[in-house]
Amino acid sequence: MSQQPLSSSVQPTDIYGGDEVSALVLDPGYCSTRAGFAGEDHPKLVIPTPYHHINGRDLFGDPIVTPRAGFEVRHYMNRDSVVEDWDAATRAWEYLLVQRLQPPRPTPPSKNRLNVGDDGDVEMGEDGAAADATDALEKPLAENPLLMAEAPWNPPKAREKAIEVCMETWGCPAFWLGRTPVLSSFAAGKPTALVVDVGGANISVAAVHDGILLKRSVQRSPAAGVWLSSQIRSMWKTNEPKVDVVPFFMVESKKPVEAGAPPDARLRTFDFPISDSFRAFEEERVVKEFKESVVEVWRGPGRFMAPGNEDYAKSQPGRVFEMPDGANQMWREQRYRVAEGMWDEAAAYPAASADEPNPSKAQTIPALIKAALDGVDVDLRPNLLSNVVVTGSTSLLNGFNDRLNQELTAMYPGVRIKIHAAGFTSERRHGAWIGGSILASLGTFHQMWISRHEYDENGPSIVEKRCK
Amino acid sequence: MTSNDLRDVLNLPSEHSPAPRPNKKQRTGAPRPNLKGLAREVQSLGGDNPIAIVPEVPFFKKRRYASRKPAARWELRAFTNSARGDNGSLVLRHWKRKTDHGPPGEPPQEPESRPSEDGVDTEMKEEKPEDSAFAKFNVRVSVPQYNEDQYQSNLQSTEWTKEETDYLLELAKEYDLRWPIIWDRYEFVPKPPEGEEANGTSTAVVTAPKPRTLEDLKARYYEVAAKMMAVQKPAQYMTRPEFELYEMMQNFNPEQERKRKEFALNTMARSKDEAREEESLLLEIKRILARTERFNEERRELYNRLDFPATDSDINSFKSSAGLQALLQNLMSTDKSKKRKSILGPGDGVSPGGAVPGSAVSESGPNRRESIAAAASSRRDSDARGPAMSAEPTPTTASSSGPGHKKKGSAAQPERRKLSAQEEQVYGVSYHDRLGSGPTFRYEKINKLYSHKSGQQQLRITNALAELDVPPRLVMPTAAVTAQFEVLWGAVTALVDLRKLSDKLEGEIKLEEAKKIERERAKAVLGTGDGGDEEAQGEKGNEKGKEEVTNEDVDVVGEGRQSGEDAGAGGDAAAGSVKDEPGTEKDKGTGHKRSASELSATSDKSAKRQKK
Repeated sequence: MSQQPLSSSVQPTDIYGGDEVSALVLDPGYCSTRAGFAGEDHPKLVIPTPYHHINGRDLFGDPIVTPRAGFEVRHYMNRDSVVEDWDAATRAWEYLLVQRLQPPRPTPPSKNRLNVGDDGDVEMGEDGAAADATDALEKPLAENPLLMAEAPWNPPKAREKAIEVCMETWGCPAFWLGRTPVLSSFAAGKPTALVVDVGGANISVAAVHDGILLKRSVQRSPAAGVWLSSQIRSMWKTNEPKVDVVPFFMVESKKPVEAGAPPDARLRTFDFPISDSFRAFEEERVVKEFKESVVEVWRGPGRFMAPGNEDYAKSQPGRVFEMPDGANQMWREQRYRVAEGMWDEAAAYPAASADEPNPSKAQTIPALIKAALDGVDVDLRPNLLSNVVVTGSTSLLNGFNDRLNQELTAMYPGVRIKIHAAGFTSERRHGAWIGGSILASLGTFHQMWISRHEYDENGPSIVEKRCK
Repeated sequence: MTSNDLRDVLNLPSEHSPAPRPNKKQRTGAPRPNLKGLAREVQSLGGDNPIAIVPEVPFFKKRRYASRKPAARWELRAFTNSARGDNGSLVLRHWKRKTDHGPPGEPPQEPESRPSEDGVDTEMKEEKPEDSAFAKFNVRVSVPQYNEDQYQSNLQSTEWTKEETDYLLELAKEYDLRWPIIWDRYEFVPKPPEGEEANGTSTAVVTAPKPRTLEDLKARYYEVAAKMMAVQKPAQYMTRPEFELYEMMQNFNPEQERKRKEFALNTMARSKDEAREEESLLLEIKRILARTERFNEERRELYNRLDFPATDSDINSFKSSAGLQALLQNLMSTDKSKKRKSILGPGDGVSPGGAVPGSAVSESGPNRRESIAAAASSRRDSDARGPAMSAEPTPTTASSSGPGHKKKGSAAQPERRKLSAQEEQVYGVSYHDRLGSGPTFRYEKINKLYSHKSGQQQLRITNALAELDVPPRLVMPTAAVTAQFEVLWGAVTALVDLRKLSDKLEGEIKLEEAKKIERERAKAVLGTGDGGDEEAQGEKGNEKGKEEVTNEDVDVVGEGRQSGEDAGAGGDAAAGSVKDEPGTEKDKGTGHKRSASELSATSDKSAKRQKK
C-alpha cells in the first residue's frame, strides 16, 4: 500500500548523488591493504601488506602463523608507504582485485573443450579481431574502473607506475589516484578539513580545501604505529624484569605465574632456521596486542613529563598484560610514557635502532599541526581547526582525541576547535578506503576518471596532470 | 450544567446558538468496529467502551496479494558523461531500470562482446549511449581571455611576464578561482631561454622564481580581469552588477588584505588570557545589549499601556471624573436593562430606559470588535478598555455635549431637548461645572463648609445661626434650601470675618489712641504739636484703606448672594438686602449685630418661601 519503496524507475538525482559503475577501490597501506567495491561502507578485503615468501613462491592474503622452512615475510613498500617492489605489489593487488573480488570466470570456449567438432578439432577464431577480443578478455579488470589511494607524498614515478599497472596489466577502463587525506576527509563527510592521519608507518597532517589537497600543508612524521611498537620494545628492554618477547608460535605450553615472576613455559623447537622477518612479524603481533590493550595516551593536564603527572599515573590502577609465554606484569605509568613521544619528543624512550630515530621536536603531532596550518592561508585556518578529522588506526589509542584537543586548545586558545573522529574502529582504520568508496560511487565523479582513451593518448604522465 | 441547560429548563430561547446541540452519543457510536460472530447484546455490554477483542485481520496474506506484480526489469546500461569533454570515449555502465520506450540497449545475453576494446567503439557507432544525469552539475568559471595584442596594449606589467600571467589564469581556471588552492599549487617555473626543457627544474633553481603571495596573485588576476572587462565593454555601458564587479576588482587593495591577514594571524595567536578577556567583554556586551533590549521592551509595553486605543469619536467627555461617572452609570443602567430585557424578551421593554440600552447594545456590537482589534497591539489594557470603548458611542454619552449630566429622579433623556427655565425648575434639572466623584449628601456639603474654618470661627458661625433660629443641620436639605443656606452661610462667615477685622482695627485704634494720649501728654510736657498732627492724618488714611477693603469684601458676598437668590427666585428681597449692605458697612461697631440679623432675616424669608 503506502509502504512501497520509492519507485526505482525515476532517478532520484536530487536526493542521492550516487551512481554505481562497479568501480573497485584499493587502499594499500604500509601495514594493511584494503580492497572492495565502491559504494560499500567497508572494504571487502583487508589483508596485511607484508606478504609471505616461501621457496621462490609469494603467498598473499591472510597471515600464516605457523613457521615453515625457508619461510619469510617480505614487504613491497618502504617506510614511506611508497611501493618499491612493483612486481610484488602488482601481484599482491591482483590477488585482491582479481582473485578475491571477481567471480570465477568461465573458461573461454576455445579451451573448455566443449565445442569439439566431429573431426576433433576446435573451431578457432580465424581473424585477428577475435584473437584481440580474447586478449582483451584476458585483461582481468576490463569492466571495473579502479580508484587507488596513495600517500600524499607519493612520488610522480610511483603514480605513473600505478596507472601503468592498472591500464596495461589489468586493462581497467578508467583509473584515478586519490590522496589519502582527501579521501579521509570525504569519509568524514567534509570537503574542507585538517586531516590528522595516524597510521601504521607515518603520521600525516594535511589540509584539504574543497576536496583538493593543499600540498604546502602536508606534514609527516614516522612517529606512528610502527614507531610506537619499537618504543614498546625499548620500554620492555629497559623494564625492571626485562621482558622478552616470545611470539605465539614458539610457545608449546605455559603455566600461570605470579606477576613479575619469570615465565614458566615450554617452548617449541624447530629443526629449521626461522627467518628474522617472520619472527619480527610474529613478535609484532604480540606488540600490537599490547598496544591495543594497554597503551594509553596521557590526556593531560599538561604533558606527561610535567612534574607530578607521573606520580599521579603511578597511583592510578594499572593494566595487566600477559605475554604469550605466561609472564605477566602490571603496567602503570609506562603505558602512558610509551605513547608520549608522539607529543613530547623529550619523553620518548631511546630509539631501538639507529636507522629508526625518535621523532624530533618538529615531528611531534602538535608541531606537525602547527606546521601544516602555517602552510595554508590565514583565512582558512580557523575553518580547518573547526574541522579536524582524525583517522588512522593508531589514533584509536585511548585518550588520543582528548590529548589532541587539549594540545590544540593550548596552541590556539582563541579558535574554536572541533575534532571529528569516527566512532567505529573500522571506520577509523579504513577511513581512506571508505572515502574512496564514496568518491568512486558519486555520479559527479565520473567526469574525473582517467579513461583508457586518455591514457592511450597521453601515456602514464597523464596521472600527474589529472590527479592533482 | 451549562447555561444552555438552564435555558432549557426555563424554556427560554437559547441566546447564542439557536441550532440544536450536536448529539454526542451519536458520535461515539459511529466508529465502533463491527465484530462479527458476536451478538449485538454482548457487544453493547461494553457500553461506550468497545469490548477489547482484537479482530483477526489477515494482514500478511493481503499484502502478499497486493504486491504481486512482475519484478522490475533492470539492465546494465552504458552511459557517457558529456562533462568530461572527451566525446564520450569513456563509456561506463550502471544498472538502470529497464524502460520500454528507452534505448533498447544491448541484449545482456552476450556479455562477451561487451568488454572487448573495440566493443566499446562499435557500441558507440551503433548507438549513442545516454548522457549522465550528473553532467549538468559541471560548472566552470569564466576566466578573462586576451590575445597577444590586448596583452601588449593593456596588461603590461613590470612585475609579471606574459608567461606568468598565462600560468596564473590557467591555474585560476583549473581550480575555479579557489585562491588558497591556486596559491598552494602556484609553482611557476620561468622558461629557460634556450630549449633545455629536459632539466628545467635545475635551471629553475638558478633563475629563482619570485615567491608570490596570495595577495600578489589576486591583485594581478583582478587587474587583468578588470582591464579585460573594460576592454570588452566600456565602463559606462556596463550593467549595474557588472559595474559593481568591475569596481570591486579595480579597488582590490593587496596591502589592505595583507594587513587584514596579519590582524587575523594576531587574533589566532592570542594567549589564553587575552582570549578569556575578550570573551568576557563579549559577554558583557551581550548582557548590556540584552538589558537595553529588555529596557526597550518594557518601555514599549509601558507606552502601549499609556497609549489609549484610537477612537473615531471624541473622548474628551470621558477625561473628567464626571464623564467617567456618567459612563459608569450609563453602563450600569445598560447592564440592568439588558438583564431585564433578556428575561422579558425583546419588545417587552416599553420603558424609555429600556429602549435606550437596547439600541446601545446593538450599536456596541461591532464597536466591541473594533475595540478588540484596536487593542490587539496592547492586549494588557484591552480588558480594561474594551467595555469603555464599546459603551462609549451609546447615545446618552455620545450626544452629551455638556461636560456632565446629573440625573434627578428620572432617567436620562436620549434626545436632548432644550429645557426652558420653567421646565428645568419643574424637573429639577440643574447644570454643574464640576461634580465630585460618587454620591454625596447635601448636608455633608454643608458640613464641609464648616471644616475649613477654625474652631473659634465655627463657634461664632453657629452662634450667629442659632441667633437666627436656623439649625446648623438642615432639616430638609433640598437643592434650593441648601443653596440658600449656602448663601446665608456665606453671609454669616463674611460677617464673622468682618467682625474679626473690625475687632482688630478697634484694638489698633485704641492702641493708637492710647499712644496718642501718651504722646500728647508728652507733648504737653515738651510743648511741640507738629508731629502729632501728621500721625493722626496717617491714621485716618489707614483707616480709610481698611474700610475700602471691607467694602470690597462685602460686595463679593453680596454678589454671591444675588446669584443664589436668582436661582431661588427671591428677587426683591435680595435687592433689599443688597441695598442694605452699604448701610451696614457705614456704621461699624454696634451695627454688626443688627445688620447680621437683618441679613439673616431676608435670607430666612427667602428660605421659608422656598420651603413653601
